[in-house]
Amino acid sequence: MRAVRTALHGGLAGRRVQALAIGLVLLASAAASTLAAGLLSASNAPFDHAFAAQHGAQAALAVNAAKAPAGELAATARLAGVTAAAGPFAEATVTASAAIPDTPGVVFQAFTLAGRSSPGGPVDDIVLTAGHWPTGTGQIVVSRDLADTGSGASMSPGVVITLTGVPGTPKLTVVGVGVSVTNTADGWVLPAQMTSLGPPPTEQMLYRFASAGSGAAVNADVAAVTRALPAGSVAGAESWLAVKAQENENIVPWVPFLVTFGVIGLAMSVLIEVNVVSGAVTAGTRRIGVLKAVGFTPAQVVWVYVLQVAVPGVIGVAGGAVIANLLAAPVLGQTSQVFEVAPQSIPLSVDLTVPLAMLALAGIAALVPASRAGRLSATTAIATGRAPRPSHGYAAHRLLGEARLLPRPVTIGLAGPFARPGRMLVTLAAILFGALAVTFGTGLGTSLNRVGSDLALAGTEHVEIGLAGQSAQQPSPGQPSPGQPSAAAQQAGMAAVIRAQPGTLRYVTESDDRLGVTGMAGTASVTAFGGDASWIGYALISGHWYGAGGAVVNTSFLHATGKRMGDTFTLTDDGRAVTLKIAGEVFLPGNDPQVLTNLSSVTTLGPSGAGPQMFYVGLRPGVNAQSYQNAVFAKLGPGDYHQVGSGSGILLQIISGLVLILTLLLVVVAAFGVLNTVVLMTRERVHDLGVFKAVGMTPRQTITMVVTTVAATGLIAGLIAVPAGIALHHAILPIMGNGAQTDFPPAIYNVYSPAELVLLALTGLVIAVVSALGPASWAARTRTAIALRAE
Amino acid sequence: MDALVQLSDVTKQYDDGKSPAVAHVAMEVGHGESVAVMGPSGSGKSTLLNLIAGLDRPSSGTVRVGNQEVSKLSETGAARFRRRQVGIIFQFFNLLDDMTVADNVLLPAQLAGVPAAKARARLDELLTALRIEKHRNTYPARLSGGERQRVAIARALVNRPPLLLADEPTGALDTATGDEIGELLLDLNSSGQTLILVTHDPALAARYAKRVIRIVDGQIATAAAPA
Repeated sequence: MRAVRTALHGGLAGRRVQALAIGLVLLASAAASTLAAGLLSASNAPFDHAFAAQHGAQAALAVNAAKAPAGELAATARLAGVTAAAGPFAEATVTASAAIPDTPGVVFQAFTLAGRSSPGGPVDDIVLTAGHWPTGTGQIVVSRDLADTGSGASMSPGVVITLTGVPGTPKLTVVGVGVSVTNTADGWVLPAQMTSLGPPPTEQMLYRFASAGSGAAVNADVAAVTRALPAGSVAGAESWLAVKAQENENIVPWVPFLVTFGVIGLAMSVLIEVNVVSGAVTAGTRRIGVLKAVGFTPAQVVWVYVLQVAVPGVIGVAGGAVIANLLAAPVLGQTSQVFEVAPQSIPLSVDLTVPLAMLALAGIAALVPASRAGRLSATTAIATGRAPRPSHGYAAHRLLGEARLLPRPVTIGLAGPFARPGRMLVTLAAILFGALAVTFGTGLGTSLNRVGSDLALAGTEHVEIGLAGQSAQQPSPGQPSPGQPSAAAQQAGMAAVIRAQPGTLRYVTESDDRLGVTGMAGTASVTAFGGDASWIGYALISGHWYGAGGAVVNTSFLHATGKRMGDTFTLTDDGRAVTLKIAGEVFLPGNDPQVLTNLSSVTTLGPSGAGPQMFYVGLRPGVNAQSYQNAVFAKLGPGDYHQVGSGSGILLQIISGLVLILTLLLVVVAAFGVLNTVVLMTRERVHDLGVFKAVGMTPRQTITMVVTTVAATGLIAGLIAVPAGIALHHAILPIMGNGAQTDFPPAIYNVYSPAELVLLALTGLVIAVVSALGPASWAARTRTAIALRAE
Repeated sequence: MDALVQLSDVTKQYDDGKSPAVAHVAMEVGHGESVAVMGPSGSGKSTLLNLIAGLDRPSSGTVRVGNQEVSKLSETGAARFRRRQVGIIFQFFNLLDDMTVADNVLLPAQLAGVPAAKARARLDELLTALRIEKHRNTYPARLSGGERQRVAIARALVNRPPLLLADEPTGALDTATGDEIGELLLDLNSSGQTLILVTHDPALAARYAKRVIRIVDGQIATAAAPA
């Protein structure tokens, strides 16, 4: 064993660069694969994971505080079947307004406030994503859903919320942002704050049960709790299954692309690692021969070489796991925003399993060539280690040597990959995956930008102004807050202001209602425009914008009704009916069936709500939307309007950022794979490099030769990656669309311009060349006399 | 006689802290001369050859070959110098195994940008002169030691360098083959080729060099005509 230790020590000391390369490649592979597995884990039932981690409430009961004393409520925690309970927490639903800088008119019509002394507890841990828990009265933690007001502004710590309609209209300063996995409240204050608001109308009780896997089980659990309380005291109960269904609807569209990146990352890591480790052992074949010549047994040889990989490997995978966890913080942070769950970290099981698996893989990758070399005779091993195996790449050298148009260093470099075809195939695969990620990521990023533009109706320069009482958070059509003018007065006033504004080119009103559809269960969301709305910029998946008696509908509507383009359908309301013809399929994701039509087409159904809820205003060329909006708001009364915005823009920005980060990560891993391959190759051929330099190869020619060795591989990988990436994009996008219950307009698929395709085709070449420059420069700097002495 | 090679107070000290491999060496080799640098193993004779070839740089002193001060050349300059001014023959041939005889010989000409037709003509000339034309498309591994050294000599001469450096050119060959190579070098010198031969073999030096420089522990011990 001492001989093995001595040989191991000598091997590590004598091949420090190789040990470093193995350590680094294992570091990169372990980091990439741990992160990839972490992403896959985050993509796998993220709600369930967050629910388990945060001890989510399987049922949240609102109990009439006047009918059920606190003692009786607390006693329900000890009922059979209840495994954990939290509360009672005083709860109130209030109206509130927030003063967010540069964001006028943020009003919350129904703001659920709960009094809790701490964020933790046996049920429903509130995970703080910013700030801290209230330390006194006058402070509030708002939910992350609420913090994103939907108007592009964020309710971060420091913002002041005024509670209206309660004694003293108290002002609360936001001190934190928190996430409750089952959305038990919009804001949390200390119990003392709730006391200052007067006797609480309801108390909140949160439960976990021994059995709550189905709706029936949760209903039975809730019924048991209800029976234990005074009759009529339970005002309402919310099941975690309803929240889960809602959350999963938001999550499902984003899972496929995260899975794709995760799988690519894992595949690349494995390929690169096997390539480098087996190459490193093969490069040591001559030394194996020497060890055998001095009496090492085959088993001892195998031990030496496996340990020679394992020592730097252990350091590498440990470092890789640490880096993965550091990188995971922002990546999984963004993922958690996408999934609308509390920030996650890489599970401990992944942290342990993946690095160990990578280490085991490295061991196997070393074991195979070491065992083969261990079985060789000493003289054969020495001979094999000294010269490249015959017949590999010779013909390529000969043929390329005839290519007189290319400089000789280029033809030598081009022939290089043929000496080790297996290694170059694996390197090609690594670059291919990297370039594939770039093509896919670029396409996906553009598609998501277009989705964002289409959803934000960004195709035209316009502003959207909602009437007061139609808050983005809590729409309640036609129900302005106390003290606000009537809906009709608001509409007339707003129309007058808009008409008078010089920047107005045109405007159209929007009325929203929910109406029945003959032959479809439930209701559809019907948006009726008062005038020509074709200019607004709704993207059409197929067909055309509606004319008289026509409508455009979303994919969900088509699925729910089984209708097709050109079919007719009947909207119903209170016994009245109107039949419309489907002119087009409009891009409006989600599982809510939606119909867009002209107000005149549905007037026979009676007035929609209390009339228009929103104005779309098209602006004259050159008019600044923000300036226009500010001018309109200045002329309107303070309670007459609210700003309209969509949170989806923020979500898409987050996802686009995530796509960019993941793409860059995979490119870095691919580049690292190429770097290590070139290092290995130049180390193997260092003697030949000495010969080249001795007969007059200049440093620049040396760099050209080394870079060219992987350049062709990179170019080929890039050329393959472009169609493969486009195919992947076209395959993943419909899956994402399926999750979002929508098809996509053709423009969302056709995102690759010819110029972009040319650049993308060069991605592999760029990855290869940039990665090879380092070792190529090293080769150029290597002193000729020393290189000539190398074996 | 004009000096083709001039070394003035040349010292080569490696970073290993040991005594210099070459210390304060001064020597000259004239055009057309045949000089043997002799000394025991580790005496610094190969280092001296590397310094003349521009494969290594002296720690101090100057090395001049023809009009060029080799010791001051950049890496690129040294590479260009080696292409045109020197041909090097190594003990273990240093042929590239994955290239044919023809490709090995042509390599310095191709790196120097010599027109293909001209390089091919020179190749034919050398292969014929060195009697290896039938091995033009053979790979070095299939050649005998003597044939490999002939290929190495052809490669060294392809760009018609004024100076030929040979580092133990017969060291890896049997006696008969070594004699053949020695005769070949002698013929080349007879036709005007300047030759610096590094060897530890006094017989070889005596037979093929007109002047012998003995080097011991990095310093020139004697410089004289061979015995």
